[in-house]
Amino acid sequence: MLASWTRLPFQVILLLLSSTGINTKEAPETPGSPVVPGEPVRRSVVLKGKSHVEYVEVLKPVTYELQCTWTGTESKLPNITGFWKRNEGEIENSHVAVPLENNQYNLKREFSIVGDETLGNYSCVFDGVAKIDFIFAVPQMGEVHDKPIVSYVGDSVVLACKMEDTKPTPVTWHWYKPNGTDKALINSSLEHRYKITNDQKKTKLVVLGVEQSDSGMYYCGAVYEVGTSVSHTELRVISFMEPLKPFIAIVIEVIILVVLILLYEKSSKITPGDTDDGTNTEQTNQLTQGENSETSIRQRKV
Amino acid sequence: MTKANPQPEVQRVEPQGPDGGYGWVMVGAMFVSNMLVFGVIRSLGVFFVEFVEYFEESAQAISWISSIGLAAEQIFSPLGTALCNAYGARPVVMAGGCLTGLGLILASQAKCLTHLYLTMGGITGLGWALVFTPMMATVMRCFTRRRSLALSLGFTGIGISCFAFSPLFQLLVDTYSWRGSLLILGGLSLNLVACGALIRPQGGQIKVVAKEKTESRSSCSAFLWQVYSYLELSLIFQRPFVTYCVAITLFNGGYFIPYIHLVAHARQVGFSEYQAAFVISATGVTDMVGRVLSGWSADMGHIRLIHWLTLWTSLTGVFIVMLPVATLGGSYAGLMVFSLAYGFCAGALTPVIFSVVPQLVGMDRMVGALGLVMLIESIGALLGAPLSGFLKDHTGSYLASLVLAGSSLILGALVLTTLPHFFSRTDPPLKCSSDSKKEAESSESGLMDNPDPNPDKLDPLETICYSETLPSFAETVPDQNHSLCS
Repeated sequence: MLASWTRLPFQVILLLLSSTGINTKEAPETPGSPVVPGEPVRRSVVLKGKSHVEYVEVLKPVTYELQCTWTGTESKLPNITGFWKRNEGEIENSHVAVPLENNQYNLKREFSIVGDETLGNYSCVFDGVAKIDFIFAVPQMGEVHDKPIVSYVGDSVVLACKMEDTKPTPVTWHWYKPNGTDKALINSSLEHRYKITNDQKKTKLVVLGVEQSDSGMYYCGAVYEVGTSVSHTELRVISFMEPLKPFIAIVIEVIILVVLILLYEKSSKITPGDTDDGTNTEQTNQLTQGENSETSIRQRKV
Repeated sequence: MTKANPQPEVQRVEPQGPDGGYGWVMVGAMFVSNMLVFGVIRSLGVFFVEFVEYFEESAQAISWISSIGLAAEQIFSPLGTALCNAYGARPVVMAGGCLTGLGLILASQAKCLTHLYLTMGGITGLGWALVFTPMMATVMRCFTRRRSLALSLGFTGIGISCFAFSPLFQLLVDTYSWRGSLLILGGLSLNLVACGALIRPQGGQIKVVAKEKTESRSSCSAFLWQVYSYLELSLIFQRPFVTYCVAITLFNGGYFIPYIHLVAHARQVGFSEYQAAFVISATGVTDMVGRVLSGWSADMGHIRLIHWLTLWTSLTGVFIVMLPVATLGGSYAGLMVFSLAYGFCAGALTPVIFSVVPQLVGMDRMVGALGLVMLIESIGALLGAPLSGFLKDHTGSYLASLVLAGSSLILGALVLTTLPHFFSRTDPPLKCSSDSKKEAESSESGLMDNPDPNPDKLDPLETICYSETLPSFAETVPDQNHSLCS
């Protein structure tokens, strides 16, 4: 009877411990990262062929339990080896022997997605031939700005980024300006040349008084708890001389055309043949004028 | 009116409408000028997105730029034709070219939206007014029997520009952004000055105001009387002209809408940028084909011009209404078919709509009449695009605005049927064709209210293609056309 009494508090303590959700299962991948509370989210995929890719959108830190099922090849070996990969690198000590159950092979593993470093491609590999990829990523912006935005020295320019309506709203937006080959975060309170306006799923960066040195790649980042998704736009700053050159060429062309037309007209008037025609036309004009005035008078009387 | 014409060859060299020679150079100049004027107007859509982003204004505020430009072009048209009557077409067109270029060049420096309204809308619109109507009037004076064909060839410039300028403008905007592009466009528009230079100068006073009227009044009222006569204001008291103007206003309310909203509507239904742009390009091709075919067949003389006009406008209206209906199911083929049909009919009505004017008012008042027509139909232009933009904002789709546009055209066609003697089946009343003169005159004089009881008194050599029953305040100096077009 005393034994059952001592067992009960022990069981209560265990129950309490498990109800607060302290995970005693797999340790998280990166050392030092916080342990994630809550039930792990299950994601399972059944593979019939050789490979499959699954996209997983992550917003907040979460633990995933990934379940891979493979139907196998014609020769259903009773035992094969399976292992896990992360971003093309094998995870240590992940090799296990996979038995054939119900004509299928199963692999299961938990991963904690807590930050930018934990995002990426997780794969389960069966027998070195069949692979299922799980790509964990924050919501990406669909819009691609492949055309550079052109602006003039001294002008202001507006760069914009937008997250689709169907995707979740980011916590905030960050903008990065080009700094050599790298990018640097823009702090609009420090640098008054930049104005950042965030509006839920849209963001706008206004750069006042652009200079040639402002040319380069600008990045906008949609910040979520677990990471940032980035989109880029190129800014090209040109001086006003550039369009001025074709403009002046066109103006010169117009002037030449007009002068040519006027000269041609003058020369065709001066040639001696024309004076005869001129007098002839005058005569016919007078004739027709006379006739017409007659007829018009006739009509008015009618 | 004797049927046997003693000297049919003399008619060919008659001042009114030599129908050839330098007239074709004028058609070429009209082609280029239309290309430059309407190419810029129609391709303003390329700048639309840039302006919305840069000035951070609503789509409605930006679409006012093209509305103001188009409206200015039509409101200032009587000014253009009055100046044309006073000083001749050449200086007016050259001045118009300079203004257009200036407006666009100034627009490239705009710092706020109001600048764009004033420069790109106001100044450039005024320049266009001084170019378009005088150029068209010059070509119409040079042709009589081939008038519709000449007009339609001149108008094909509009179709080609639709085709060629959109990708060109897109390239310009990608390379130089909108400021540099506007600057270059201003330079291109200066070519209008060269088009104007091609017009031969007219000797002598263009429109002689009847002397007995001016002598008896003081110089101020004489000037006012001159203005009144140059502007042909007496026409607004004549019912057929007014009917025609009402019809034109309704046409204008709906005619431009598809060109402005078709791309946006196609994108909204779900087609890609390139698919939508391709539809517009294809519509431009059928537009051109429609223009030339219509001009050529209208000149054949089997069907009256006014009947052609009613046919083409009602068909255009029907096809505009069918456009959103066909795309309801997301069918690209439906969109394509009806856009092509719309393009063909819209192009077909353009030469006929203007070549009808001399039949209504007479050759000597044609220039002023054209200016007035442009002014009165500008009401349609001013209301059309913003109204359809408003409908789109409130209903969320372009269905309502396109249906309204189509109905407006059909209503205008119905108004046309109220013209006097509309249902008579006689041949088109161009009196210059020798055979059908007698028939033609009776139907022609029937268009206006006072029929001529004694048509036989007309001289057989007389080929002035006007309605001789109109009381004319001025006499045209006939040799102006001869020097213009030979």
